[in-house]
Amino acid sequence: MTHIHTSPGVLAAGDDRSVAKRNGPGGNAPPPARKRRDRGENVAGYLFMSPWIAGFLFLIAGPMVFSLYLSFTEYNLFEAPRWIGLQNFTDMFADPRWRQSVKVTSWYVLIGTPIKLAAALAVAMLLAQKRWGQSFYRAAFYAPSLIGASVSAAIVWRALFSDDAIVDRTQKVFGVEVGGWIGDPAMIIYALIALTVWQFGAPMVIFLAGLKQVPRELYEAAEVDGAGPWRRFFHITLPMISPVLFFNVLLETIHSFQIFGSAYIVSNSSCGPADATLVYTCYLYEQGFVNSRMGFASAMGWLLLVAVGLVTAVLFWSQKRWVHYEEGGR
Amino acid sequence: MSRNNGMDRRQLLKLAGLSAAGLGLTAAGCGSGSGGSGGPVTIRHSWWGADDRAKKVQQCVTLFEKKHPKIKVKTDFQQYADFWKKFNTQAAGGNPPDVIQNAVTFLRKYEAKNVLLDLGPQAEKGNLDLGGFRSGLEKFAEIDGKLLGVPVGSNSMALVIDEKVYEKAGIAPEIGWTWDDWLAGLEKIKSGQKIAGDAGPHGVMYLYDLILRQNGKAFFTEDGMGFGEDELLPYWTEALERVKSGLYADPNKVEQLKPASATAKGLSAGEFTWDNFSVRYSAEGRSSYGLAPIPSTDGKKTGQYLGSLMLSGTARTKHPAEVATFISFMTHDPEVARIMGYDRGVPATTAQFGAYQPSDAPSKAIGAYETAIADAGVLEPITPHPAGADVIEAAFLRIGADLSLGKSSPEESVKQFFSEAKTALGSN
Repeated sequence: MTHIHTSPGVLAAGDDRSVAKRNGPGGNAPPPARKRRDRGENVAGYLFMSPWIAGFLFLIAGPMVFSLYLSFTEYNLFEAPRWIGLQNFTDMFADPRWRQSVKVTSWYVLIGTPIKLAAALAVAMLLAQKRWGQSFYRAAFYAPSLIGASVSAAIVWRALFSDDAIVDRTQKVFGVEVGGWIGDPAMIIYALIALTVWQFGAPMVIFLAGLKQVPRELYEAAEVDGAGPWRRFFHITLPMISPVLFFNVLLETIHSFQIFGSAYIVSNSSCGPADATLVYTCYLYEQGFVNSRMGFASAMGWLLLVAVGLVTAVLFWSQKRWVHYEEGGR
Repeated sequence: MSRNNGMDRRQLLKLAGLSAAGLGLTAAGCGSGSGGSGGPVTIRHSWWGADDRAKKVQQCVTLFEKKHPKIKVKTDFQQYADFWKKFNTQAAGGNPPDVIQNAVTFLRKYEAKNVLLDLGPQAEKGNLDLGGFRSGLEKFAEIDGKLLGVPVGSNSMALVIDEKVYEKAGIAPEIGWTWDDWLAGLEKIKSGQKIAGDAGPHGVMYLYDLILRQNGKAFFTEDGMGFGEDELLPYWTEALERVKSGLYADPNKVEQLKPASATAKGLSAGEFTWDNFSVRYSAEGRSSYGLAPIPSTDGKKTGQYLGSLMLSGTARTKHPAEVATFISFMTHDPEVARIMGYDRGVPATTAQFGAYQPSDAPSKAIGAYETAIADAGVLEPITPHPAGADVIEAAFLRIGADLSLGKSSPEESVKQFFSEAKTALGSN
């Protein structure tokens, strides 16, 4: 379904290899002139890529390797790192706040992601139909995800859900007296989930694209056979868009694991009250930059990477059971 | 397109080389300009606080630059918590600001890591004036013979009260009142006016320090904790009961109001905090707010001391003399006192103390309060804060809040606090 874009230089090299493979050893080797030209192209390719390669080495790969090393050390930013082996990891499992952060994050991912995707799909289905002002609605529903990650949105959210603010007052009209959500350890996580659901724009656009691909004839045929809207949804729409759904589930799950900004700001830079919004990255940040335990923070970071990797692997494994690709699409 | 025709590759290269050399020359020229004698020196100063303080500091800096045209000061500020996060990162990266606002909780932490500048030699050279400090405050930041900071103001713990509520309840706190008197007052306020008597003091480390000091102990020793689980457990058990009975304010609501204060928002009749914080209450709330003395067990010993904000230099600075000149100016210049007022506490030097006569009621009250406790003779020397004290203070506050929100039992809270304190002391 998707095409992998490669630079011409890489493609040419790949072609050569496949030619050599086909012909086997002793097959027609490319003429020397072509070899030279290929090498020249390769050099040019690498030259053009060099800013990216340098950036990757110094800004991504280097720090990652260093942080992997740090995860086995005690490092307070000021004194040289001291090797302590697996101590950070054993400390982590013994730390009740770390366990709380795992609990909060899992809860957030498990509850928030499905609701967000359901909202995105529902709105995408509404917007897929032709109606007046369609492009305005599409833009309006997409807008929150553009500003959603920003600090200002989180601040507004905090204001909406505080004690005696609009949400609290509306609740009271309906006779629900819970008070504001922000200071209530049992409720604040739902304020965060509401914030993430509100930002469903990106998956919605992808769903829209998926819905447009479903052939009309299928619906027409089903209608003729007397299938109702629910049947059509479960037997045509869902299976037909399952590759898109899989893509969205994967992306949103990974994204949810990394929640930081909104949790940090909605809870007033404290990941609280009572650690109710102590998401994993929030605790990682606190350990690293407030408590100066960079070794511990690095260890937490690597564990998160492994956990997200595992969840991704499980999702990929499960797709065989529920994702339907068109024939030849796999 | 055809302009390049007459130029071959070599000529192009030459041209490129020349322009590169030209760039190099200009760069060299710049270098000699800023590094040589005669040019202005730039130092960086950062502090924590709100916009209001930022405006005042900026005014002082403008004045300083006028009086010392060869020194430029670049300023930067954050909220308290964010300030230290940023400073940690800057200091670890070897690029800390030259002058920072500082507090006693951080002295040993950064001394152990060689982050702070010893201002002693600068005082000897005459760049820093150590004369005229009130009640021995100049020794405030001296650790192991090194002078790690100079106080700009002094403050002390107090009980900020909503005067209207206290008046209506017929309570007039005076120096010498006891914890029993205070508690009886809370009961009276709760039953008479249906509001909590206190915002909930159990997470305030500095107040618990005073309570310990009243009993001959202290929160910290030089390198560890000055009290044990047996002492904290009854204190927190009692606190939880008072939250449940409504003597202390509803913690859910207190949390949501932050950073506004519970007392200013009418949730409670009072709260323990630093006396100079009282300035903000009248801005935030609708009542009138006053300062009451710290209660004691025996009616005499309150355990109080003068705390202080200070200015410190950082060890990596390339301009220690200019740093000292700036700190000296900020602590002694009478104009600075007139600009800053009691924003950072009552000015630490006699010159500044005399220069500023407060005209607003909250500032007058702060001045009167500090004079009263000094006259009453309750002030004692401050106890040391070990490296890691800042992390422990934050843990005390957080775990105290968790406790009152009913998230953990007093036993669990106490265990959790000491476990985190141990980690903080070990890793700092």
